[in-house]
Amino acid sequence: MSEAFSIDDVDRAIVEQLRVNGRATNQQIANTLGLTAATVSARIRRMEEADKLRVVAVSDFSAHGYNVLMEVAIEVDGRPASEVAAELAEFPEVFAAHLVTGRYDIDMLVVLRDIGDLPSLLLDKFSKVKGIRSMVPAIAVDVIKYKFDVAPIEAREDA
Amino acid sequence: MSAPQLDDLDRQLIEVLARDARVSNRKIAGELGVTEGTVRGRIKRLQQEGLISFTAITSFGMAASTRMAFIGVQAEVSEVRDVARRISELDAVNAVMITMGRFNILAICLFDSLDSLLEVASDQILALPGVHHVETSIAVKTVKYNARVVRITEIDAGADEGD
Repeated sequence: MSEAFSIDDVDRAIVEQLRVNGRATNQQIANTLGLTAATVSARIRRMEEADKLRVVAVSDFSAHGYNVLMEVAIEVDGRPASEVAAELAEFPEVFAAHLVTGRYDIDMLVVLRDIGDLPSLLLDKFSKVKGIRSMVPAIAVDVIKYKFDVAPIEAREDA
Repeated sequence: MSAPQLDDLDRQLIEVLARDARVSNRKIAGELGVTEGTVRGRIKRLQQEGLISFTAITSFGMAASTRMAFIGVQAEVSEVRDVARRISELDAVNAVMITMGRFNILAICLFDSLDSLLEVASDQILALPGVHHVETSIAVKTVKYNARVVRITEIDAGADEGD
């Protein structure tokens, strides 16, 4: 990450507008902020090229066919937790996996099409992974907030 | 919840827009071999149904030291909705879900320093009325994570505007 890159109030105001509506045209943003469309366009391009900004569509779990979300904490025994986590991360249902401090060793977010898929996930898939001592789930019954708009940005693979 | 019906075109649109949401309808239409009107209509429908949402993700404000923490909260059962809503109002908290399991609320937050985590977990969340216990674990290494797939909790404000 380059230290020379700086963000000013105009950049921040543009990002604020993009957070409200990522598909707003440069002209719409320019009108709201009292800038020219060319300025808006140049500012956005500059932040994107420096990998400081991405304006993207995020999609809901349900758009991918997943309707059940749960958090699963895992206690590992007799095997490095990073190996167990890497193996679990290969299942498409394991949507996020982190090594964590505390009573458990791995914290995962798991998605299912349907609660009926739980037996096969546990008994046919997770049970084949060596080193799991215990798994403790917390099933999400309602999601109140889910907003990660600050995140590491990977460089674009292609234009 | 009835499963949304998505066809291949919807899925292709989601893929294109997940890379860059500022690409014009015209360009998407050319790329996917459909009309601009189709692209516009599909995007609007996906937004209105809460299947996609457009957002700006920034890496500034993200220090090299930024870490994720999972805060499990045991809250009074009769007050769980209220407590969850109050936790969701905290700026530092990125995700809040009501759960059935070893705690009844899970909050996920990003933090830059142990002091700021302590402030959220111990000073703000634990101090809320109805909260009995807070258990925090810190992600020291992320093995898998996809910021593009989320639970959309609010329909885009811009979803009704003609584009």
